[in-house]
Amino acid sequence: MPARYRSTRAASVVLLVALVATLSAQAPADRRVVKIRAERFSFTPSEISMVVGEEIEIRLKSDDTSHGFKVVGQDVDVTIPKRGQGEVAVPFKPAKAGRYEFECSHLCGAGHSFMRGVIVVKERKE
Amino acid sequence: MISINHISGAWLALALSAGPAAAGQTPQAPDPVPAAKKSSTGPLSGYMDFHVNKISGEDTVIDFHRFVLLFSHSFTPRIRFVGELELEHAFVEGAEPSGELELEQAYLDFLIHRRFNIRAGMLLMPVGIINERHEPPVYNGVERPLVDTVIIPTTWFETGAGVHGEFSGGWRYRAYVTAPLNALEFSADEGIREGRQKGSRSRAPSASVTGRVEYLGVPDLTIGASFWNGRGHAFGTLLETGVRVLEADARFQRDRLELRGQIARVAIPDASELNDTLLVESGVDPNIAERLFGVYGEAAYRILARGSPRDLVAFVRYEFADTQHRMPAGWLPLEEFQRNQWVFGATYFPEPDIAVKVDYVWLRNKSSIIKAPASFNVGLGWWF
Repeated sequence: MPARYRSTRAASVVLLVALVATLSAQAPADRRVVKIRAERFSFTPSEISMVVGEEIEIRLKSDDTSHGFKVVGQDVDVTIPKRGQGEVAVPFKPAKAGRYEFECSHLCGAGHSFMRGVIVVKERKE
Repeated sequence: MISINHISGAWLALALSAGPAAAGQTPQAPDPVPAAKKSSTGPLSGYMDFHVNKISGEDTVIDFHRFVLLFSHSFTPRIRFVGELELEHAFVEGAEPSGELELEQAYLDFLIHRRFNIRAGMLLMPVGIINERHEPPVYNGVERPLVDTVIIPTTWFETGAGVHGEFSGGWRYRAYVTAPLNALEFSADEGIREGRQKGSRSRAPSASVTGRVEYLGVPDLTIGASFWNGRGHAFGTLLETGVRVLEADARFQRDRLELRGQIARVAIPDASELNDTLLVESGVDPNIAERLFGVYGEAAYRILARGSPRDLVAFVRYEFADTQHRMPAGWLPLEEFQRNQWVFGATYFPEPDIAVKVDYVWLRNKSSIIKAPASFNVGLGWWF
């Protein structure tokens, strides 16, 4: 096979993989996106409201160092990359109403323990 | 070759445009983002701060100013320990001029509810911008602001206990009861700074109360107000004076612009009695003021686009710090301690946790005899 066709096929495979990755990374259309900015020593916003059955995608971005995003009592504990190194998406769909507290799970400085917030999940109104 | 370009181009066009359309999303549909990675932090962090200071008329000084380690441990998801151990000036040999080893934080947090949590141990006083936010990459300038040195004595820490929490709408608070100050060490130059007992066998014939309220409800803006109210003791309870610190501050950050300002006042209502007693005791008039006052404003501009890992920030700060602002009757102010300064500088971030700093400090005072020196400073600070 001529070299130019091999390179064409290779480029196509790479782009196909990129396409699949792009599509798989998309949030479903019915998923609400909530953007949170992390910086020493706060999450903004630090309170999120949603209803049972709703699924949200929490997108976290740092303005300074890397932080952690941990939802206490849930299987959510991710790294928020440093400023300029992108954001991270966390799908969240609680099964029960309640208050789900979240916090920074990376020791990020003297005021690290103040980096907290809450997701308030209410029953869906009929 | 043309066909190759067409094929590749078609794939590229498809890849770029396929996202929202192929997923049936609206134009407001989210952009693709990387999948979340599990957090993998360790229990140890820290920061370091290395300075070169050239004060006019003096030799250049190279100082490894701060080597700080932070520790954390969670006993349970609701009970947590945080500690901060600092070595200042690299070397400790008993006397303070050679350096200091300080336990700046060591507390237990009992996380009860978002609105109400309990903290006890060695605490940072929640006063001002810098005292609780003092990592080198989070402030401009090689040295901390003068107001945060001689008016608010950062780093100000003391043993105590208290509560903290956050309410809806972006309101936060903390309030602690701590040990008081040692009035024997108050001075004309640095006010209450040397009166910090630092939790080292702190004498506590009375309790002090400190607190802070912050509002983060407006995007890009943080405003805060804090106080410290207690007493300064000397010779046990033989001599004591009230001490009140009031402070307000604001930080604003939008796009490339960053603004911050702070105003602080310290009141020592019994300064006259304190001066009398210390004069008799030591033979030296400490000339402690009844009131200290400081204010600063800083404007910074991110020359590289905000959000980039590399960044270059240019800044200018004006400060006024007067530790002789109002003297008790019968005492005259020492004018060399009525100071103001302009600080011009830049901070380069090769990556977000490393700050290369350079600044020029034009310090002035009201004295016609003792001139304030200017200084040129270079610093390297990092966080890990």
